[in-house]
Amino acid sequence: MRINPWSAVLLLGVPVAFLIIFFIVPFGTVAVTSFRMPDGGWSAANYEKIATDAYYWGALYLTFKIALWVTLIVLLVGYPLAYTITYNVRNPLLRRFIYIVIVTPLFTSSIVRAFGWLVLLGRKGMVNETLMSLELIDKPLQILFTEGGIVIGMAYIMLPFMVLTVASILQNINTSLLEAARDLGAHPVVAFLKVTFPLSLPGVIAGSLIVFTLSVSAYVTPSILSGGKKTVMSMLIYQQYAATLNFPFGATLAVALLVSTLLLIAGYLLVIERHAKG
Amino acid sequence: MAGDLIEIVGLVKRYGAVAALDGVSINVRQGEFLALLGPSGCGKTTLLRSIAGFVEPTEGQVRIGGKVINDVPPHERPVNTVFQNYALFPHMTVADNVAFGPRRKGTPKAEVAKQVADVLAMVGMDGYGERYPRQLSGGQQQRIALARAIVNQPQVLLLDEPLGALDLKLRKRMQVELKRLHGQLGITFIYVTHDQEEALAMADRIAVMNQGKIAQIGTGQDIYRAPNSRYVADFIGEANLIECTVKNGRLDLGGVTLPYDVAGAGARATLMIRPEDIHLGAPPSDGAPVVLKATVRDKVFLGSAWRVYAALPSVQEIAAHAASGDAVDHVAKGGAIELWWPRDRGRVLAQ
Repeated sequence: MRINPWSAVLLLGVPVAFLIIFFIVPFGTVAVTSFRMPDGGWSAANYEKIATDAYYWGALYLTFKIALWVTLIVLLVGYPLAYTITYNVRNPLLRRFIYIVIVTPLFTSSIVRAFGWLVLLGRKGMVNETLMSLELIDKPLQILFTEGGIVIGMAYIMLPFMVLTVASILQNINTSLLEAARDLGAHPVVAFLKVTFPLSLPGVIAGSLIVFTLSVSAYVTPSILSGGKKTVMSMLIYQQYAATLNFPFGATLAVALLVSTLLLIAGYLLVIERHAKG
Repeated sequence: MAGDLIEIVGLVKRYGAVAALDGVSINVRQGEFLALLGPSGCGKTTLLRSIAGFVEPTEGQVRIGGKVINDVPPHERPVNTVFQNYALFPHMTVADNVAFGPRRKGTPKAEVAKQVADVLAMVGMDGYGERYPRQLSGGQQQRIALARAIVNQPQVLLLDEPLGALDLKLRKRMQVELKRLHGQLGITFIYVTHDQEEALAMADRIAVMNQGKIAQIGTGQDIYRAPNSRYVADFIGEANLIECTVKNGRLDLGGVTLPYDVAGAGARATLMIRPEDIHLGAPPSDGAPVVLKATVRDKVFLGSAWRVYAALPSVQEIAAHAASGDAVDHVAKGGAIELWWPRDRGRVLAQ
């Protein structure tokens, strides 16, 4: 197909312009600011501070730890859910209904949903009350304001992204491939492991990347569910900008978070590519 | 008949109110090449899939080697399928695709490699083991799908329109190869197709299906020469279906009595004659041919023969397939001609 050069300029230009205006320029400003000193000079002292202070390494570690747990849990819950919707729900109306149920929370403010978890997970919350009344525990569990509480709340918010991504890939796997596997002597479990799952990997990879990056940068949920007892990077950045008003240091934290996230993702993709080739 | 490899007894499959299979009974002999022939929606694929185990019959039984296999899951059935769209695993090489079945049986590695190499050679695809399906042409993919099925040495090979996606020339060549392979392997083939020529060219027996039922089953010649209904006559080959009335127990065509006894057939009957059985010109004196006068409506040159469309006394049209020769070369449009056919080539069909 031949494209008129002018329409090509338009087609490419609009997104490029959008990206420049809303991402490159602001991020460039942030990056430049991170080298600014209170006295008006330029220095990498902020980076030195982060690199040498274990507190920031700890926050970075916690951020990635929570994001990894969230990704793992969302994958373990979301994949079977996507699989069930795709293969076991035959009724198209019911399937649409389930999709709506999954997507609806996205329309609700994450502040509201985080407060919902406060109510559910609290000492007198529904979870503890239920466990107590079943006599599974004798005193309330401390779930709120722990890493576990943050992970639970974030996993719930991230679930739709994984389900939708995986389901869209599963839907495109030709069912005759599964029949072929069964026909060639594969037990349903083997057919899943040898055919369905490998073919759904692009969805798993895309879904986990989306969930991981969103979790790394999440602010509202961790700050509400941590009760100030746990600090992730987004909370530190916010503190610097909104409370301490140390814009250069906030910028440095933001750049450090972005670079380390990109490094992790690049490593992840590299491993996958190696694996796919080998 | 006892001793047949596959016995299908009273098979019914209903989807809601619709019966995809409506009481199918059929026996297939060991080593036979059976074609299931019919238009789309006739139930042929449903029948094939119930033998493979992908369709659970509402009623009836599928037996293989005397054993009822209704409740045996697909992966434990002694059958393998060549799927319509090949269904090759896109994430596996050709060799891994073919090795999929043997590996499930726990065949030792070296043995698997040998089986794969042998079967790829058999379908003329040796040396393609390391390629991926997307790197192959449609015809090559077809061969791999075939190899992947026969490497398991199934008792029955099920083929679901395996040549449907290939161009005509390749299809003709694959027909010959499949037929040869069938002879070599001695495996029972059940072959679903909507292409009557393909069924005639390949199958030992053809089961013509219509609306979930078997309309007729027999050798290609049986079905072509002696169809038992208008439906079969029309579906297999070309047929002139001449509507006649019945007078005094004989066929009557616009006042001309035709020498076919139809006592008890009701007030109307259909006479079927294949175009190639109709001759133009003076009938021979022996053999009591059926002779009709007609008017030429059209004449089409086909190369080796002429196709002549002629109007009968009853205003119906009849097509004749006449080898080039004096009689037909000089027939003119609008001219009067005499048609005849050997009496036994006409068949009276029930309504």
